[in-house]
Amino acid sequence: MIYKDYANLPALVPHITFIYYLTIISLEKVNDLKLIELKEVSKSFGKNSILGDVNLIIEEGDILGIIGRSGSGKTTLLNLVAGFLEPSEGEVLHHFKAAHGPESLHQNLHKIKDLIGYAPQHNSFYPKLTVLENLLHFGQLYKLPKETILNNIKGLLEATDLLSHQNKLAEHLSGGMQKRLDIACSLVHKPKILVLDEPTADLDPMLQKEIMNFLIQVNKQGVTLVIASHHLALLERACNKIAIVHIGRVHSHGHIDEIRKSYSKDNFTLSLSPGDNKERLISILKTLPIDRIIDKDHLLVVHPKNITKTVTGLLTAIQEENLYLHDLDIRHPSLDEIFEIITSREK
Amino acid sequence: MKSIWLLIKKNLRLLVRSKTSALVIFFAPLLIMLLLGLSYDTSSSYGLNIGVYAPAFSEDVESLITSLQEQEFKIVKYETTVDDCVEDIKAGYIHTCLSVPESLQVEDNQQKEVTFYVDPSKINLVWMIQENLGNKFNLKSQEISRGLTSGILTSVADATTQLTEKNTELNGVKEKSSAASASALSVSQQLGALDLNLPASTYDPQALTTIKSSLSLEVENSLGEVDDAREAVEAANITNDAQILSSLNDIETKLKKVDALLSGAAVSTANSTNTGSNSTASESLSSILTLLEQDLTATQNKLTAASQAVTSSSSSLSSASQAMQESVGALDNVQQGLGQIKTTLESQKVTDANVISSPLITRIEPVAPESTYLNYLFPALLVLVVMFSSLLLGTTLVMMEKNSPAFFRNYFLPLRKGTFVISTFFTTLLITLVQVVIILGVSMVFLQESIFYMLPVAGVLLLSSSVFSFIGMGIGYAFKSEETGTLASISTGSLLLFVSGVVLPIESISPLVRKITALNPFVISESVIREVFLFHAGISSVWTEVASLVGYALALFAVILIVEYLVHKHFISGFMKSRHLKHRQQEKRDKNNV
Repeated sequence: MIYKDYANLPALVPHITFIYYLTIISLEKVNDLKLIELKEVSKSFGKNSILGDVNLIIEEGDILGIIGRSGSGKTTLLNLVAGFLEPSEGEVLHHFKAAHGPESLHQNLHKIKDLIGYAPQHNSFYPKLTVLENLLHFGQLYKLPKETILNNIKGLLEATDLLSHQNKLAEHLSGGMQKRLDIACSLVHKPKILVLDEPTADLDPMLQKEIMNFLIQVNKQGVTLVIASHHLALLERACNKIAIVHIGRVHSHGHIDEIRKSYSKDNFTLSLSPGDNKERLISILKTLPIDRIIDKDHLLVVHPKNITKTVTGLLTAIQEENLYLHDLDIRHPSLDEIFEIITSREK
Repeated sequence: MKSIWLLIKKNLRLLVRSKTSALVIFFAPLLIMLLLGLSYDTSSSYGLNIGVYAPAFSEDVESLITSLQEQEFKIVKYETTVDDCVEDIKAGYIHTCLSVPESLQVEDNQQKEVTFYVDPSKINLVWMIQENLGNKFNLKSQEISRGLTSGILTSVADATTQLTEKNTELNGVKEKSSAASASALSVSQQLGALDLNLPASTYDPQALTTIKSSLSLEVENSLGEVDDAREAVEAANITNDAQILSSLNDIETKLKKVDALLSGAAVSTANSTNTGSNSTASESLSSILTLLEQDLTATQNKLTAASQAVTSSSSSLSSASQAMQESVGALDNVQQGLGQIKTTLESQKVTDANVISSPLITRIEPVAPESTYLNYLFPALLVLVVMFSSLLLGTTLVMMEKNSPAFFRNYFLPLRKGTFVISTFFTTLLITLVQVVIILGVSMVFLQESIFYMLPVAGVLLLSSSVFSFIGMGIGYAFKSEETGTLASISTGSLLLFVSGVVLPIESISPLVRKITALNPFVISESVIREVFLFHAGISSVWTEVASLVGYALALFAVILIVEYLVHKHFISGFMKSRHLKHRQQEKRDKNNV
């Protein structure tokens, strides 16, 4: 793979982004076991149309990221996926019970509640109960054998690193721990699918990362995740599938690499600092297979004929001549960029 | 100062913009005032159900009943026994029981007693009964008293009239008696003046003997001669008148001699010298005769005078007798009149001043054993505590759940909607049970009541608690914030309390509202507990009320389930709608700022 060739680049180009390193892992987990399917789904509240013509498939093992601006309809979509809302039009089907075939999720929600976990945006547990009490409370309400619940709780406490805090009141936990407890409460009955609404909202970057790592671990244990968030970078890192919601429409959805490919750029950019030898870099580039170079003062946009050869040649020359380059951006477009593109189109 | 004003403005703005808060804060007091105003805007009608027991419903008892009915008291008649009436007070069907005598007419010196049987646990009602029925009976008593006094005064007036008449008659008697007395005095004087003494003449007894002897001799002689004459007549064939004439002359002579003897005084005076003895006798006789004549004259005079006096006296006495007879007649009349007066006065059997002034006396008889006010108020206090406790607990628990961060998660739990309602209900009930156990436990010490009676009280309290819990929960589901929900619960509790009869008598509110307040669960609960606690009533006595409470609880449970279902159905819709609106507005603001 092309990106693996740049494994030693950080030393030379400190700001090169390696987003794909992680996303590649989840790209491997593709299967076709449908769990939830949205067909021509529309949702409106009164006269306000919130979502329209949504077609979406969530498969087992997916980490589906739903991204969109505030008020775009992503929470509505999430609630439709969770069966919490009934679509105004179309249908949301679940495939949890293969023997029965697809069934309306909302209408049969009572039968499959134990297969779905939901973590709303704001923590949803009892602050005046301890960590253990909260987990026991929600676990026992799923009517599982006590031994199973205790095993689940033990595993969750270890996974969430809350074992040593199990007797603390939930309100006394830190923000990150509270969020982990909230997710643990959603997982205590071992659901097949976990729906999370803005799991990283109001958390600092470290905690956001921590939560995402935890979710990835959860997914590895076989839990399908549907995550709505506007922290695109985090989703990009964790999800294998993305649905981009904007003004009540799902504009793109599917495997993240496919989406990225469809929005991939045919150029790379060189960011230059005042001390960089701009002229020398341009002359080196001109020796390489390129179509054109656009000089934007501190930014050179290079349209190569063969991006691999051009970048390899450029980096080799830089190394040989011991030149300094502030930044080399050779990525596919990030989710952020794709999102920008989509939202700017709609404008 | 400005900052205070700004803060006040902000507070008011926030209150007004929170619709439920504004509704509760501004309109709840107005609503309460309106309801209370409508309830107590009455002065004439009373919703008292009065049981009347009488051995027989005579005319005056019926009259009393009619006068009570005129005041819109509802009357229930009891004819068999007063105990039925008392039992109905305990059961709360009637508010008081009047035990009235067969007749309210006072006919002897015994006051008629009317007994008010009241439930002392309803202190304000007792006061009201005393106030209203007492007045009614005072009026009746005054009426009877007036009748009695009037009867007495009529008798007195009749007696006075009769006495006046009799007095006149007595005056006549008096005059007649005086006249009779005067006549009698006159007769007395006349008779006193009569000289009926014999003249003080002295008669010689020997002379009288001599005269007697002479007269006897002469008479004998005369008799002899008469015999001779008869013999001569017999012997002589009475052919010769001369012989008879001679004999008769002879007799005449001899009788003349006797006559002479008898008229000897004149003769003796004239012939005293002719014969010795005869002349003495004649003289004696003469003097005697003279004396006798004199005496006889004197006596005659006296007798004439006496006769006159007797005639006069007879006349006087006759008139006096007549007067006396008339007096006797008048006195008979007077006696008869006095007899009538006596009869009239004796016909007034009521003579006791106390009975006349207060012919009817009222007595308050509590239907429960005499006890402290705490005992009487205890049922109301218990229900009060349970009502507010349950209302607030119900509201608070629902609000706690609704406002809890975990509320959202509950929708994803595999539980029926009713499970949450039931769990909240049982939580309230459990806490109330603890409260009830503590309260009743402490009460058992103070009130010295047996646990046997406390257990049914506890049962009824829990039933009441169920109803109030559901009301509180309903409020909890209906309101958004805990503050407004709590305020609404307190307002509801206050309203139920105000129209319960504990603060103000329910019987004094307007009939329409009274009918409605009879459905007040507080009233029902308090009634049941009072019956169970104070009167130790069994389940058979209170089953209708208990059934009402159960019905309330079930109906409210159903309503809450429906409300909860609707809340659930619209919760997300509302939540999402508001969330989207908020986001869209924020987006617009962001654009504008840019």
